Amino acid sequence: MKLPVLFLIFATHFLSGTAHIGKNVGNFFSSQHTNNWAVLVCTSRFWFNYRHVANTLSVYRSVKRLGIPDSHIVLMLADDMACNHRNPKPATVFSHKNMELNVYGDDVEVDYRGYEVTVENFLRVLTGRLPPSTPRSKRLLSDDRSNILIYLTGHGGNGFLKFQDSEEISNVELADAFEQMWQKRRYNELLFIIDTCQGASMYERFYSPNLMALASSQVGEDSLSHQPDLAIGVHLMDRYTFYLLEFLEDIHPASKTNMNDLFKVCPKSQCVSTPGHRTDLFLRDPGSVLITDFFGSVRKVEITTDAINLTEPIEQKQDIAVSEEQEKVQYSYTDQLPVSEIIHQKPKQKDWHPPDGFILGLWTLILLVFFRAYGIKHLKHIF
Amino acid sequence: MAAPLTLLLIVGVSIRLFLFRSSLADIIAERVEVVSPLTAWKRVIEGLALLDLGVSPYSGDIFHETPLIIYLFHFVVDYAEITFMLADVITAVALYLAVKDYNTQVLKKQRFELEADRYPMDCLELVRSPTQMYYIPLKVAMVYMLNPFTILSCVAKSTCGLNNAVLGLFFLCTIKKNTMLSAIFLALATYQSIYPITLCAPAMLYIMQRLYIPVNYRWASFWWFVVQYLFIYLGSLFVIICLSFFLLGSWDYIPSVYGFILSVPDLTPNIGLFWYFFAEMFEHFRLFFLCVFQINVFFYTIPLSIKLKEHPVFLMFMQLAVMSIFKSYPTVGDIALYLSLLPLWSHLHRFLRNIFLVTCVLIACSALFPVLWHLWIYSGSANSNFYYAITLLFNVAQILLVSDYFYAFLRREHHLTYGLYLKKKDGSEATLVLK
Repeated sequence: MKLPVLFLIFATHFLSGTAHIGKNVGNFFSSQHTNNWAVLVCTSRFWFNYRHVANTLSVYRSVKRLGIPDSHIVLMLADDMACNHRNPKPATVFSHKNMELNVYGDDVEVDYRGYEVTVENFLRVLTGRLPPSTPRSKRLLSDDRSNILIYLTGHGGNGFLKFQDSEEISNVELADAFEQMWQKRRYNELLFIIDTCQGASMYERFYSPNLMALASSQVGEDSLSHQPDLAIGVHLMDRYTFYLLEFLEDIHPASKTNMNDLFKVCPKSQCVSTPGHRTDLFLRDPGSVLITDFFGSVRKVEITTDAINLTEPIEQKQDIAVSEEQEKVQYSYTDQLPVSEIIHQKPKQKDWHPPDGFILGLWTLILLVFFRAYGIKHLKHIF
Repeated sequence: MAAPLTLLLIVGVSIRLFLFRSSLADIIAERVEVVSPLTAWKRVIEGLALLDLGVSPYSGDIFHETPLIIYLFHFVVDYAEITFMLADVITAVALYLAVKDYNTQVLKKQRFELEADRYPMDCLELVRSPTQMYYIPLKVAMVYMLNPFTILSCVAKSTCGLNNAVLGLFFLCTIKKNTMLSAIFLALATYQSIYPITLCAPAMLYIMQRLYIPVNYRWASFWWFVVQYLFIYLGSLFVIICLSFFLLGSWDYIPSVYGFILSVPDLTPNIGLFWYFFAEMFEHFRLFFLCVFQINVFFYTIPLSIKLKEHPVFLMFMQLAVMSIFKSYPTVGDIALYLSLLPLWSHLHRFLRNIFLVTCVLIACSALFPVLWHLWIYSGSANSNFYYAITLLFNVAQILLVSDYFYAFLRREHHLTYGLYLKKKDGSEATLVLK
């Protein structure tokens, strides 16, 4: 029964497609992004924060599975759980108990590890203000047609997120970083997901356009962890990310699932905390935003043999008439020191001479002493 | 004796010339043991350069030389090496002539005492003979010219050499009982660094001895001589200071030179005792300890001159030594001057008790100075305590040397009065100790 209906739908689409190439062209440009980036950050260290690393790695896994390559993912893990001394199963990080799913895998590329995960590095990655020596794998080389997914997890509070047990990032800093990104045209649309206690406080201060935010708990609520594994000895995942991972496992690159479904992930019955979201800064309707717009790297490719007329022809810009004022003006600094006088080629001239009175007085004294000592009879030899 | 002296001078000058032309000259000129902030040649050139640029050299903390030095070097700065070698030659010749004259005086005095039968019979071996004393002047000149300390000081072009020349000339004039010139040269020496003022007392004592004025405060001629000497001394000091005013037209040089010497603001390490102490001193106590340290230099004059009023040249030697050890910025050039007078007291060798220890310590410390400096400053594996320990040891050795000579001198005098083999009241052998 489904099959003829589907066939009919495909036929109508095909027919309408050929007639309405122009409209499809419009669809072609609907989401307006050409590349996808992901910044996935785990901010906690120590063995008992295993679940935060597992959270980040599961999102990493989903994002990679859906098509974002490692070169477009900046993965920041504050501690190494896979090779931790206390890991009974080295080189693995599990997200489900009974070791069902190893999210560490063979091809995890961690860009910022250990003590490199700091507030400063995170903000520098976001804003792009990195020293010239930073390698490409550590940079977020997004442009104004990039859709960026930012996922943060760790321990947080009302208005802050703790990095590495020693510093915090505040919601104001984060909002300002996003504003910098907007002003530098570093994103087209940005999805911000945070899984911490009181996570909703982190997106309260956003003020830049095209931001959509999700959090695992409201202000005043704690995000809870999901289930411990008795063999490993710690909680493996947080609830919100666990159910997010389950949701994402059903997504494939061609899915048409949209954001409204994402908002329904982990209701209060499963999460105990109330997940929150914020879409007022987002220009498109969340219902029209595909999950794969952020989590995957889906390229829309439509093959056509027809030529497409874009509505407005591109006009050549006229050359601005070069006027005399536009001659290159040579700028140079004025000399701060009289260089030409200091570095002179002339031999050193002693400009100072002792005053004549001094010389006169000195030699008179010397002569007086001489004659007093040796007698006046020498005087006739002088004169 | 002119020929050996000339040979010695030629040898000394050629060693210095050789070292001037080698690459060691720059290294030596930077060593803190050889130059101090008062005497460094670098600072002299800096001061002259500042003067050429129209700035007073005394503004800032670079230049601490007196205006007469500015005047001298304004004309001879291109021939500085010859100037310093000439200064060394003048000092050596002055010491030579002075010691020759002094020996004549000593022998004359000895003859008087022998004829007056003042010496007990058994101490005739302590009496000195002309043959023994024939080579002493040459030895004195040799010790000065060929002393490694002097050579280092000359090659570094430290103005300590000029100071030594003035002191040597003062010594010569004093021995030649020329009151006026001696006072004038002493005034020049005091003008350059304050400490030679303590040499007033031995100079006055010696000249009074030569002029047969008894050293007794009840005699009018004693006071008249003292007044005369002090008048010439203070008068010439005053004239020189006022004349220096006219060189640059300002009194800037007084805090820069005398204020610097007395208040010791610069704590660069040197071979003296001031820097370490004042580096760790609290500000609250600084003035107090400054006064203590400075008084220490001048303090020994009165007691020593009371004790040694019959022997003013030995007093002068001791004053020079005390000055070199306890002054605020000593260098090896100051040490060289009083070391060169040691051959004068070579007859005391049988009474010296610590001479081996002192020699070894002095040589070892001189060798260790650059080593520990390198370890402290360049390798970073030592610290200032190491260098200060060596400084301390060096000064202790010097003090031991001086006190040893003092003991030997007094002991010889005692023996000359009471006989060589001393007996206690019950007839057993006695020993002499310096309390």
